[in-house]
Amino acid sequence: MNKVKLVRKILVYAIYVVFLVCFQVSFPDKISFDAQIADIMFVFVSLVAYYYGLWDGIIVGLVVGILRDCFAAPAILSFNGDIATSVGIGSLSMFLVAVFSASVFTVKMHRKFSFALITVATCSVIYKILGHGAIKLWTTVFSSASYSLSFKQVVVDSILVQVLLNLICAIPLILLLRFAGPYSGGVNPALSKNDTGGNQSWLTV
Amino acid sequence: MRRLFANKWFIVVLITVLLVAIIILGAIPNSPVNKILTPVKAVANPIQRFVKSVGTTIDDYWAAITDGVAIREENVALKEEIARLEYEATKDDEAMIRYEELKDAFHIKDSFSDYDIFGASVLSREADEWFSVIRVGAGIDDGLILENTYSYAVVDNRTNLIGRVIETNSSESKILPLLHEGFSVNGKVNEVNGAVILVSGDAALKKQGLCLVTGIGEDVVIEVGDVIVTSGDGGLFPQGIPIGEIYSVDYSDSLHPIATLIPYASIDDLKDVFIMVPYNQDVATETPVTEETNE
Repeated sequence: MNKVKLVRKILVYAIYVVFLVCFQVSFPDKISFDAQIADIMFVFVSLVAYYYGLWDGIIVGLVVGILRDCFAAPAILSFNGDIATSVGIGSLSMFLVAVFSASVFTVKMHRKFSFALITVATCSVIYKILGHGAIKLWTTVFSSASYSLSFKQVVVDSILVQVLLNLICAIPLILLLRFAGPYSGGVNPALSKNDTGGNQSWLTV
Repeated sequence: MRRLFANKWFIVVLITVLLVAIIILGAIPNSPVNKILTPVKAVANPIQRFVKSVGTTIDDYWAAITDGVAIREENVALKEEIARLEYEATKDDEAMIRYEELKDAFHIKDSFSDYDIFGASVLSREADEWFSVIRVGAGIDDGLILENTYSYAVVDNRTNLIGRVIETNSSESKILPLLHEGFSVNGKVNEVNGAVILVSGDAALKKQGLCLVTGIGEDVVIEVGDVIVTSGDGGLFPQGIPIGEIYSVDYSDSLHPIATLIPYASIDDLKDVFIMVPYNQDVATETPVTEETNE
């Protein structure tokens, strides 16, 4: 990759990351429905990893995760029993989203619109299940309190609404990445070279 | 070793372990790990403030266009209101002078006279269901020094409770909102010898914008519509801050009746908040109320 293309890639990623992260934490009311907020950062990381591969995904995921920790860190029970903001949970979750999105589907299915949506939906469901599971575990172990959400509330009010919102915001993001993304033509040349030798299966994990 | 670092899965596992270690170390009180994001914040915060101000300007401009007719009508009504209020204010000035004289004579104490009030604008809000801390633009440089067990009450422009400060840095603070499941405060029914209760956030009720009310005594009768204010017990919050109204009551378990409360403050519409800092810091040093300590 020559210098001009590299600078273009970094600039485009920087603009998207700054704008999307700042928009989500500054105006969550504009993208919320039924008490859930469309997770634009999450969807963006997932799509970048899906379309442009593991390394792009990891770097964008870590940057977005760090900004997520800076602007909207979760408040958790610390070891002394006080509620405090945590460091690293945003980075870890965005990093794992990138790894998952770039790894589950092999090259044969990369860059297909429908599979991009399936990736976002799958990631969202796993993120939500793991999140609820971690909070339930943390609450039980550290505060010996019970987690008040019922199974139905978790599925209907949390997971289902979040997946729908994420899918809705995935559509414009896919179009932006394809037609105004970091790579001209919407294709990472490093990945397209590997495509020719890819296998036919779509699940490799 | 070089071959090991060429393996992408090795790098993925390494980064994951590193991040998990940061999370665990960060959960230790006063851990220096919590300061690793300070340089990032120094760069990112001004950018986020700029994006927010641009967004707010566009939003306001758009609202000015779409609401033009309504604003003109409102303007006429407001002018009439101003005229009426100016007359009221003139009368109140005299009443105020009289009140100050009586206050000095009888040593009357204002509700929040021991507290300094810091105004701050909301910088960012929740990113999703769990990343839910609110950032506001007032910090150590403004006099908000938060040490180990300190915390400050945060209210809206009508003195309704919003939450409490859990972290400060040089230019901003982070607030735990009262709907968060980790939040709890001792409250009481706003009447003479009103029953003392515990108001806390609840994961299931958060979606409906409600708080959970527990700690209701067996012989206490709480009714829908009862106004709940902070009781001042525990020392974290001053007494008398309005929290909200009882929304529903459940006496099916006579030993542990519960109720729900609808807060007065609307977190979704927040633009500015006010942080209450006691002049005497010892007022805010007691441990925040938790279910365990309450029981």
